[in-house]
Amino acid sequence: MAAVTHQAQAIELGGSRSAEAVSDHELLAAIRDGDEVAFQEIVRRYRNPITNFVYRMLDDYDRSVELAQETFIRVYTSASRYQANYSFSTYIYRIATNLAISELRRRKRRKTVSLFSPFTNDDGEAVEIDPPDLNVLQDETLIQNERRRAVARAITSLPQKYRAAIVLRDVEGLSYDQIAQTLRLSEGTVKSRINRARNLLKEKLSVYI
Amino acid sequence: MNGCKYIRERIDAAERPDVFSFEVNEHLSQCDDCERFAFERSALRNLLAEGTRVSAPVNFDAMLTARLAEVKGRRAYWWLASPGYLRLGAATAGLVVMFFAAQYSGLFSDNNPSNKPPVIAVQPSPTPGPQPGPVQLSPPIHDISTGQPVAMTSGSHNRSMPRIRRGGAPVDGVPVGYFTAESGGVVLVRGSNGDMDVQLPTVSVGAQPLLYVSAGQRPVRTVGTSF
Repeated sequence: MAAVTHQAQAIELGGSRSAEAVSDHELLAAIRDGDEVAFQEIVRRYRNPITNFVYRMLDDYDRSVELAQETFIRVYTSASRYQANYSFSTYIYRIATNLAISELRRRKRRKTVSLFSPFTNDDGEAVEIDPPDLNVLQDETLIQNERRRAVARAITSLPQKYRAAIVLRDVEGLSYDQIAQTLRLSEGTVKSRINRARNLLKEKLSVYI
Repeated sequence: MNGCKYIRERIDAAERPDVFSFEVNEHLSQCDDCERFAFERSALRNLLAEGTRVSAPVNFDAMLTARLAEVKGRRAYWWLASPGYLRLGAATAGLVVMFFAAQYSGLFSDNNPSNKPPVIAVQPSPTPGPQPGPVQLSPPIHDISTGQPVAMTSGSHNRSMPRIRRGGAPVDGVPVGYFTAESGGVVLVRGSNGDMDVQLPTVSVGAQPLLYVSAGQRPVRTVGTSF
């Protein structure tokens, strides 16, 4: 990673600025011209956020890494069709979101059932059966790990239309406007979905709040 | 004073979970329900945000480079991909089918009388076999019932059923005692003694019927097709 960083810092686009100072749009323009170093800089900037976002959507690290790589491959192969009408982060998150949702639909067709959520409520939403362990835990690390696992399971139990919105907002920290562009929804719809998702999560995670 | 619904929308829309505008704070100081709502929302958002952020593996770039090279390779040889390969195969198969259909429908045969191939005459000769010029037939063909020589010709325009004429009258301009190989193929002739078949050298071009001629004892029939 360090080698890539140094290499990226060493490149100069336009002859005067380092890669760190070059905007995403300029990097995409360089990728269109076949600049491999510009593509490496894009990967360096977004590999961790995209991997984390897909991981929060799927709760499957290996598959998340594969889909993150697929996201960058699509960025590279469709660089000539990229239009700088909105921010590149919105563009790449949209690709990652579409890949994650496709993966969720594929898994749904395979009818994989989590052992933690074998039941659904009247609305068809997965209901997590995860009674909290009321015993006193001595190790704070175990407590934190258990809390993180509970949060991850609660997120993955959400319907996918709520899941993408809440992860983009409360995990990745995107603004409502960016989420609306990423999901191609109106801002009002995004706010509604996030509000609904938070209400569902509050019920699932009431023990930890 | 703003309503609770509006204030809760503002709480949800806050950029940071615990930093609110002045009007929200003013409302929260007077409304316990909204204050509890703000506390729960803040705790939930902090809980979601504090989760460990996973990072890409150390070999992420190497794996991506390998996959990207594979994609580039596929794009360079896109015409060998299955859709293009199937299209090429289908086109070839279509051309082959069209060729055979045209061949069997006679498009490649020359029916113009002026362009007919020269008649290969077979004359009686004690030494059978291909020779320069007219090929001699041995033994001579005679009608068993009358003892007259039999002239075997194919019809001028009947490609599959050669005719057998008795007597010495010319048939379609072919001298008596001669028969043509216009129909081509291998002609098997049972001799007048009825004991042996004589294979005659003929010219075969393209798909031609394989004939069995029985010198009047049996009707002429098509045995098969020879290419």
